[in-house]
Amino acid sequence: MNGTPFALGLAALGVAIGLGLIGSAAMSGMARQPEAIGKIQTPMLIALAFVELVFLLTLFLGLNMVK
Amino acid sequence: MGDLLHLGTTLLAEGGAEHGAAHHGANFVGLMVYLVAIIGVVVYLLADAKKGLNNRYFTRWTTQRLEQLYLFVENMAVGIIGAHGRKYIPMVMTLWLLIFFGNLTALFFATSPTADLSFNLGLALIAVFYVQWEGMRANGVGGHFKHFAGPKLSGALMILTPMIFIIELVSEMMKNLSLSLRLYGNIDGGHKAAEAMNELGKSAYVPFGAFLMPLKLMTCVVQALIFTLLFCVYLSLVTHADHGDAHGEAHAH
Amino acid sequence: MSSANNSKGVPYILKLVIGLVLMFGGMYLSVQKPEFMSFQESLEKSGIPLDLGKTVAIIGVFLILTPLLDLFFFKPLQESITNRTTELEGTFTEAENLRSEMTRMKTEYEDRLARTEAEAREQIQSQIKEAQDLKKQLMADAQAKADQLRKEAEVEIANQKKQALTELRVHVATLSLQATEKILQANVDTDRNRKLIDDFLTTVEAKN
Repeated sequence: MNGTPFALGLAALGVAIGLGLIGSAAMSGMARQPEAIGKIQTPMLIALAFVELVFLLTLFLGLNMVK
Repeated sequence: MGDLLHLGTTLLAEGGAEHGAAHHGANFVGLMVYLVAIIGVVVYLLADAKKGLNNRYFTRWTTQRLEQLYLFVENMAVGIIGAHGRKYIPMVMTLWLLIFFGNLTALFFATSPTADLSFNLGLALIAVFYVQWEGMRANGVGGHFKHFAGPKLSGALMILTPMIFIIELVSEMMKNLSLSLRLYGNIDGGHKAAEAMNELGKSAYVPFGAFLMPLKLMTCVVQALIFTLLFCVYLSLVTHADHGDAHGEAHAH
Repeated sequence: MSSANNSKGVPYILKLVIGLVLMFGGMYLSVQKPEFMSFQESLEKSGIPLDLGKTVAIIGVFLILTPLLDLFFFKPLQESITNRTTELEGTFTEAENLRSEMTRMKTEYEDRLARTEAEAREQIQSQIKEAQDLKKQLMADAQAKADQLRKEAEVEIANQKKQALTELRVHVATLSLQATEKILQANVDTDRNRKLIDDFLTTVEAKN
């Protein structure tokens, strides 16, 4: 038993906070200007993808270390 | 056909046995079987939709859906790349269809093309090299490489230019990695999560993993969207000097 | 845009050949696993499940597939969408033209209607006026005729009266003479009596 699951959990925590921040900022922006939803959505998705990638890299490395 | 499927599955099983429980995807023939199946489905749908084409409104279901998809992609391409983004639509549409149906395969089968890092790397390589190709066509070969070197610096700061050049090159390489790993991680991660949850409910014979289905379906769409979206963004970064310098300057800073 | 399309350059047959070469090359790399691909083993061991043969083959497949799908579906779809848009635009402009034409015709019709109405009113007015004139004239004529008739009648009446009076005088004189003759017999000269009676009658007349 090594610390990989714990490390993965930690990574998930950080990434979840990041995703939440992006989501909340985008939501408040959309709520303030509903006509700009189309313009906000694309950058939001891109940012989400980049943050998510960090976790995927961690997952990738972590799962490889489990072996 | 049955024989071929049998061949694919046996090869798949062989691959699974060879690499233990590793999620390695199918081997070459298995991958090709999946790919041919996906392309067959896509072409069948397109052929079905083609029957409904006319110069008035479309009434055939497949035609309507594909028109929606087409208009969505067109909107995305034109919105991100600009007016000249229209010529990249076939590329983006093909990528979208392959990735989306690959992801859908992942919902119902043990493996799928998009759950295979090699397949994703192939798609990412196509995307990135197409972007380079378009950049060279738009700015010329020299102009395209100058683009890597960042802004013009003078005096002692000239030392920075090669460093920026190298960093930019590495980031181009990383685009491949990020595109392919994102798709792979999402689809394969979905598989892994479903398996882990199935393991959880094994004693009670409850397939908890099946409850992940809606989430995975959403992932299918979102991943296809993000892959094509990023492709469009990369294209817009290299080709936006195409139409007017003022716009390019505005974007560069 | 068109120049960009023309400079696309790479013909489909070349893409097809390159795609096929890449596909079979990838197959070779993946199935035969030549010596120089042995670095994949170490990657595999370190946990990166990569099979570059598949990657190469996918690139080939994609190279073949994209123009095929483009030709097969995306171009016709784009074409029919464009056709539909232009057709819709045409229909809209046509409808707009028809509408403006209709508006023009309507105003024209209204104009004509108003003009006709005004004309009719004018005509009626003039007719009425004419009729009134005629009436006035007729009435005046009738009045004049009646006046004249009355005058004539009055004159005649006067004449008749005069005549009757003279006749009556003669008659009365004769009657008186006869009566006086009978009364006075021969004593009286006829001429002198006649004269007397005449005088008497004139006084009577004057009295009347």
